[in-house]
Amino acid sequence: MTTAPSTTGVDVDALMNEVRARIRQRRESGRFDAGLQAALDRPLPGGAPIFADDLADPLKALPDVLDADQAYDPRSRRRYVGPVITLARRAAIWLLRSWIGDLVDRQDRVNRLLYAAIREQALAPSPLGEARLAAIEETLARRERDENASNLEWRFLVARFSGVEEQIRAQAEPFVALFPRGGRVLDLGSGRGYVLGLMRERGLAAYGVDIDGAAVAESRGNGFEVLEADAEAHLRSLADRSLDGIYSAHVAEHVLLGKLVEILRQARRVLKPGAPLVMATPNAATLTVSSHTFYFDPSHRRPIPPELFQFLLEVEGFTGVEVRSYAPTEPRLDEGVPDGPIRENVRLLNRTLFGDRDYAVVGRAP
Amino acid sequence: MATVHHFHPTLVPADAISNHVVALHELARRDGKDSRVYAIESTRPIDGGVLPYRRLFRSVRPDDTLLLHFSMGNEVFDQLAKLPARKVLVYHNVTPAEFFTGINPHAALHAQLGRKQLGTLAAQMELGVGVSEYNRRELEAAGFTRTAVVPLLIDWTAYDVAPDPAVLAQRASARTKLLFVSRIAPHKRQDDLIRLIAYYRACIDPEAQLVLVGSYRDQPQYHARLRALAQELGVTGAVTFAGSVSLSALVAYYRSATAFVSLSEHEGFGVPLLEAMRFDLPIVAYDAGAVAETLGDAGLRAKTRDLAEIAELVGLVGERADLRASLVAAGRKRVADFSTDRVEQKTRTVLGL
Repeated sequence: MTTAPSTTGVDVDALMNEVRARIRQRRESGRFDAGLQAALDRPLPGGAPIFADDLADPLKALPDVLDADQAYDPRSRRRYVGPVITLARRAAIWLLRSWIGDLVDRQDRVNRLLYAAIREQALAPSPLGEARLAAIEETLARRERDENASNLEWRFLVARFSGVEEQIRAQAEPFVALFPRGGRVLDLGSGRGYVLGLMRERGLAAYGVDIDGAAVAESRGNGFEVLEADAEAHLRSLADRSLDGIYSAHVAEHVLLGKLVEILRQARRVLKPGAPLVMATPNAATLTVSSHTFYFDPSHRRPIPPELFQFLLEVEGFTGVEVRSYAPTEPRLDEGVPDGPIRENVRLLNRTLFGDRDYAVVGRAP
Repeated sequence: MATVHHFHPTLVPADAISNHVVALHELARRDGKDSRVYAIESTRPIDGGVLPYRRLFRSVRPDDTLLLHFSMGNEVFDQLAKLPARKVLVYHNVTPAEFFTGINPHAALHAQLGRKQLGTLAAQMELGVGVSEYNRRELEAAGFTRTAVVPLLIDWTAYDVAPDPAVLAQRASARTKLLFVSRIAPHKRQDDLIRLIAYYRACIDPEAQLVLVGSYRDQPQYHARLRALAQELGVTGAVTFAGSVSLSALVAYYRSATAFVSLSEHEGFGVPLLEAMRFDLPIVAYDAGAVAETLGDAGLRAKTRDLAEIAELVGLVGERADLRASLVAAGRKRVADFSTDRVEQKTRTVLGL
């Protein structure tokens, strides 16, 4: 970047390396942060950017020009005739001043009105644009509603297809045991509060988050600490390394994969080092789940293969990631057949079609 | 006896160009020549007085030398160029018009006219003298067939005046005192200096001070915006706009500074750089125009406008006594190349004074 010839005895390369090292240090220590960088890039306030072509941002440049006062100098400095010309110019200006003054005033008024009109147009939202935007937003909203079949009465769906409290508690039990006693644990997607109840019994300082207002109200009514919020938004609001554990059952298959990745990233941030993350979801490896029962819930997105979910945790830095499946399918093929290839085939068929219906991926924050 | 006539449209005190005009005039007189100074407007008192330019049309004779100092366009030059005499144009550089867009459209227009006029004058001048090689190259590009380089003639003894004690006292406290001397003008980029001092105070020395010496009367808009920038960045107390100062105060500012920093984007010569060397100040300057040429071996030149890097460089210069000593020593050597004697010799040779 710099040069200073050798006669000064200054080693320029070494100097510049030191300069760059110092800047790196400043950035790392946080002294040279985004705020300071913004200060260095701060444009000169109070008008159009300097050295910039007026035409690049005419709306900004106009006020200066409208108010500029450029006096005309009628003097001529030519030899001999200079004073005569000057006098003639001055006389002409004096004679015509009322006419010119009138024209100038009128033009000035037109200019100012135009400027005001253009600015209003530029800053105001256009009605046509607004209508089209509203149409697009409505289409998106309708699409979302239709995908989730939000015209269905949810309590009927839940009544028909949802699991019972004992079953949900029993399935959650081995995972709740992973969390430290007295620890602050979050049930992400706490639903009707069944797992919160289990956690409380196991001595955890648990609280829940759910996006469904009705579920939240019901759980609060049962004395649980529950917040109504979107899972990702809630995690973003938490401080680094503030939770002792996160449990989330049947939430992952309700969000798009990209959002799931964001949730995992936020989870890693807010969990204390070594704290467990448990996320349970329908077992896509069991084909009667991924081709049949998965679709009982219209708001399910797509089945998540256990291998993929494990990968997602590992790639975000979680350690000791394992997949634990549970809830065996009933009925299954009878494995009481002669030993040998037939029994092996029946077992394979059972695993593939009638295997465990759910799995949970378990990992620890780094 | 042939007379030497010197002309510049405006002559004002404490201005590099006016100083040069007066210095050449005094050199001619010392050499026993008949020398006169003309201007359109003058607020500068000189020996023999400044004559109104119209006198030139009467007084110039064919074997006289007419030195036209050119730094801005003016219709008078077209008239003077028609006079029969030995005409020499001394080129101080016209600030390019693009340095006024967004700030002062009036000045931008004049800058454009100035450059155009340089082209038309080329054919009518016997010699084009640039005060730097950078300027001389522009003369060549404009169509001057005979060109030469004669640096500004500076009377270094004038700087032996006692420094203003009030200024010295004021500046005593801070450890880091960065100085830049030049008119407040957009192409001098005092705005980047303000950003630089914000970085410096945030990362290197929270009590560092920046002094900007130079008149702000000609660019009230830019000056106001500089103050607004300093306020936005929270460095109002750290930045001093000294304005136009007496020589004694100028000396005091140089003596109490710890480094001279320039981020100017256009320089035809850069007298303050030499002044800084004269007062043993290490220099860190952005390489633009004639800066590299004037600095020679002295000073650290930055080729990119990375404010953080330049600030850290200034910081290192402040920390390292050995680095500072090298730069100061190189500066002393370099400023000797512009000693009054040397430049007078060159002036006599080239201008035939």
